[in-house]
Amino acid sequence: MKIFATFRLMFLSSIIFLGCKKDITQQTVYDNVIYEVNPVEVYASNAEKTKQKSSQQFISILYSNLTNKTIPGDELSKLSELSLSFGDKELMNQVLLENFLGNPGIIIPTNDEMRSNPDAFVNETYLKFFLRYPTEYEKYYFKDMIIKDPDITSEMVYAAFAQSNEYLFY
Amino acid sequence: MKRRTFIRKAGLATAGMFAVPYLLPSGRLFAGTGDRLVNHVVVVLFAGGVRHQESVDQSYLAAQGFPTTGNLLQNMLAGNAPTNNLIYTPWQPILSTPLAKHGTLFKELRYATGPTGHFNGHTAAITGNYTDVSLDLNVNPDYPTVFEYYRKHTDPARSAINSWWMSEGLGPYPALNYSRNGMYGPMYGANYLRPATTFGGYGLEYLSEAITFQPDDVTKISSMKNFLDKNFDKTAADYPGILNTSEDREKIKSFIYETLNKTSMGQIEWPLPPGISTAELTGDLVNMAYAWQVLDTFSPELLVINSFDLDTCHFNFTNYLSYMHKADYGVGWLWSKIQQHPVLANDTILICMPDHGRNELPNSVYDANGLRAFDHTSDENSRRLFALIVGPADKVKQNEIVGDAFNPVGETVDLVPTVAHILGFHEYIPGGFLPGRILEEAFV
Repeated sequence: MKIFATFRLMFLSSIIFLGCKKDITQQTVYDNVIYEVNPVEVYASNAEKTKQKSSQQFISILYSNLTNKTIPGDELSKLSELSLSFGDKELMNQVLLENFLGNPGIIIPTNDEMRSNPDAFVNETYLKFFLRYPTEYEKYYFKDMIIKDPDITSEMVYAAFAQSNEYLFY
Repeated sequence: MKRRTFIRKAGLATAGMFAVPYLLPSGRLFAGTGDRLVNHVVVVLFAGGVRHQESVDQSYLAAQGFPTTGNLLQNMLAGNAPTNNLIYTPWQPILSTPLAKHGTLFKELRYATGPTGHFNGHTAAITGNYTDVSLDLNVNPDYPTVFEYYRKHTDPARSAINSWWMSEGLGPYPALNYSRNGMYGPMYGANYLRPATTFGGYGLEYLSEAITFQPDDVTKISSMKNFLDKNFDKTAADYPGILNTSEDREKIKSFIYETLNKTSMGQIEWPLPPGISTAELTGDLVNMAYAWQVLDTFSPELLVINSFDLDTCHFNFTNYLSYMHKADYGVGWLWSKIQQHPVLANDTILICMPDHGRNELPNSVYDANGLRAFDHTSDENSRRLFALIVGPADKVKQNEIVGDAFNPVGETVDLVPTVAHILGFHEYIPGGFLPGRILEEAFV
């Protein structure tokens, strides 16, 4: 009897306390599957990006995106000085990107990996650079291009993402 | 059609409606730029704070209590070099006749108002307006720069590849390639470059492993980027810094990689006399060497560079004299290169002017040779400058000296109107922007 009384009390408590509570569902998606570094929330859409990255943020994030590591302070300092030494910042970003891509230390899917599973590659590239999933249309565009154009490389796709306007915002 | 795209297209269409009625009979959209004296101007801000005594007055060690006098600026000015008490290694001048013989020397020019600080001096020279703003890191000036006037008021419009600002150091200087003025700004700014960083240790360390994309690859990357940009409603228009056209950007990128390659291969031509080691290079000479790379590659219409090493005078008078002598060699070298260039020769006017002077009285520091050092704290002596304007004999008065200590002629802020006059856009600059005047005494 005592046991039943306890269950009844718990049941009534749950009705009283839970019944008054508004249900809130928060879906948080992490991209740690891709990065395996720090979990970062993804954007639901690119409309949420309203702030422009500074040169230092651009360098730091690009480095992390391409190496899966946080940029060491002294390297950030040197690369920031390099960025400061040239007036056309977009051009300097492009030059830095080309040099990152030419560095053997970067982590980038091989072309075989890209072509063996274009769906996953496109998803992961959007998550890596834009912190969001591609729309169906975006997914179709890149998948179609990768399949139809054998000359497209993963470096070229990465270069396009890193030079895009969206990549300059957060 | 996206709202933003619609607004942009509608704006362009409206602008076109207003522009069309102003088409001139010649078919040009706006009135042509005025007559130019030449098509290229090179300005060397002989900066770092130069005392009149050791430069134009040629008093060498007189301020230190030694009777020895002489001309350290053998390439720029006429006058015999010091013959004794030598505390620098004299370099044989590269020019057979000094630049003063090929132009007009404003012997006593004034930095009239405001603190005689480097940032102030550079800003006054480049904007044509004195400023009381003290060192303000990485903030663009309030008044438009000479680059913006040049690009906005030259017809047909010139892209940024035609105007360059190259500094010996960083600090606040990267911000002088365009202003915060709402009528001008980055869209009319100059390309800025600090070669000692871009092509120095950091550049060689981080910019020498570039992946090479073939032209077809570049087209495909561009196509993907365009697709991505179409799906994002913001542009990088507010990204700090100037923008080059796509075509110019590729040229400049190639220039950066080629120059880095030349540097790493030891193929950069340095402004050094024969037999002198590269260990003798100064930051000023490095800047001048790469300025030549820019001139040789792009033949820009407007290039402004500075020297800065002379500022060592705060604590080392011996090095100050040595650096001044070397910077003079660099200026002579640059002029000799210009005169051998198929586009620039006989079509370039060179202007040399310090950012400001230095104090008459020394500070409390002595260098290793026991020589007193000098600051620049806005005393009257630090307001004494000179300017040398050199160019073709049919454009610039040759071997002319204007002004003296009792009769100063010209001011720092006259540099911008003078450059505007040379490149033919002075009359198109709206009134009220420039308090200075054209240094007309220099021109035929």
